[in-house]
Amino acid sequence: MSDRVQMLVALQDLELMIREAEDPTSKETEEALGFTMQGIEKLQMDCEQLRKKIPKPDLRLYDRIRRRYHRVVVPVVSRICTGCFQGLPTSRTRTIPTSRPLPTCESCGRILYWL
Amino acid sequence: MTAEQFLSYFSPERFIKDLRARSKDGVLSEMSKVLAEDDDVRDPGLLLEMIRRRESLGSTGLGDGIAVPHGRSTAATQTKVVFARSKRGIDFAAMDGKPCRIFFLIVAPYEDNRHEYLPLLGKIVETASREDIRKKFMDVGSHEEFQEVVRGAIGE
Ligand SMILES: [Zn+2]
Repeated sequence: MSDRVQMLVALQDLELMIREAEDPTSKETEEALGFTMQGIEKLQMDCEQLRKKIPKPDLRLYDRIRRRYHRVVVPVVSRICTGCFQGLPTSRTRTIPTSRPLPTCESCGRILYWL
Repeated sequence: MTAEQFLSYFSPERFIKDLRARSKDGVLSEMSKVLAEDDDVRDPGLLLEMIRRRESLGSTGLGDGIAVPHGRSTAATQTKVVFARSKRGIDFAAMDGKPCRIFFLIVAPYEDNRHEYLPLLGKIVETASREDIRKKFMDVGSHEEFQEVVRGAIGE
C-alpha cells in the first residue's frame, strides 16, 4: 500500500477498531454474541508501526483534524464530501498525491478519499 | 428486524456457493474481493487489511461451523454482507476447533449513522446459531434458496 490517503484510511480504521475494543459497551455487545476481543496489544503495535510509515506532514495534518472531528478521512460520493455534505467544485478530481499536499475539503478541511 | 430488512444487506452477487479458498486468509481474501465489486464498497486491499486485523483481536469463528468476520471501514459507504459456504470446511481457528463451513462477512461504514451494524451482526449470529437453519444453509444452491431459508427462519 503506497497511496498516502490509503495509509491514512488504514490508520483511521485501525484507531476505530482499537477504540471499540477498549470501549466497555461495544466490547460487551460483541462478547455477548460469542466473539472474543483479546489481541488489543497486537493492534496497538500495528498502529505504532503504521504511524512510522506515514510521512510526517501527513500525520501532523491527520492529528490536527482529529482534534476537531471524529472522522478525519472521508469518502467522496457523487462529488460530495461525506464529512460536511458540501458539493465539491467541478475542478476537483481524483488525484494521486505524490509530493503535493493531501486533497482536503475546502468547506470542512477533512482529507478526501475518492472511492 | 424483518426477514426483508435482513435480506436487504445480501445480494445474488454476494452469494458464494462454494469457496475456492482452502485457508482462513484465503477465505477472507476471496470474500473481500466479492464485497469490493459492489458500488458502495471499494478497495479490497484496505478491507482485507481491516478484516485481518479484526481476526487478530480474536477469531470470529464462533463454533459449530459458523464464522462471522466483521468490521467497520472508511472504504464502505453502506453496510453489506457476503454469504459464503465451503463444502470441504476450513480451519478458521474457531473456538471449538471445528472446521468452518458457513461464513458471513459484514462490512459497515466508519460512521454507523443508522445504527444498523450491531443489530444486524446480532441477527446473523442468532439465525446461524439455530441447528435447523445451519443445516438448511449448508444445502442452499442459490441466493433465492438462501432467501427462502431466511424467510422461514425469521418469519414474516
Ligand atoms: Zn467537507
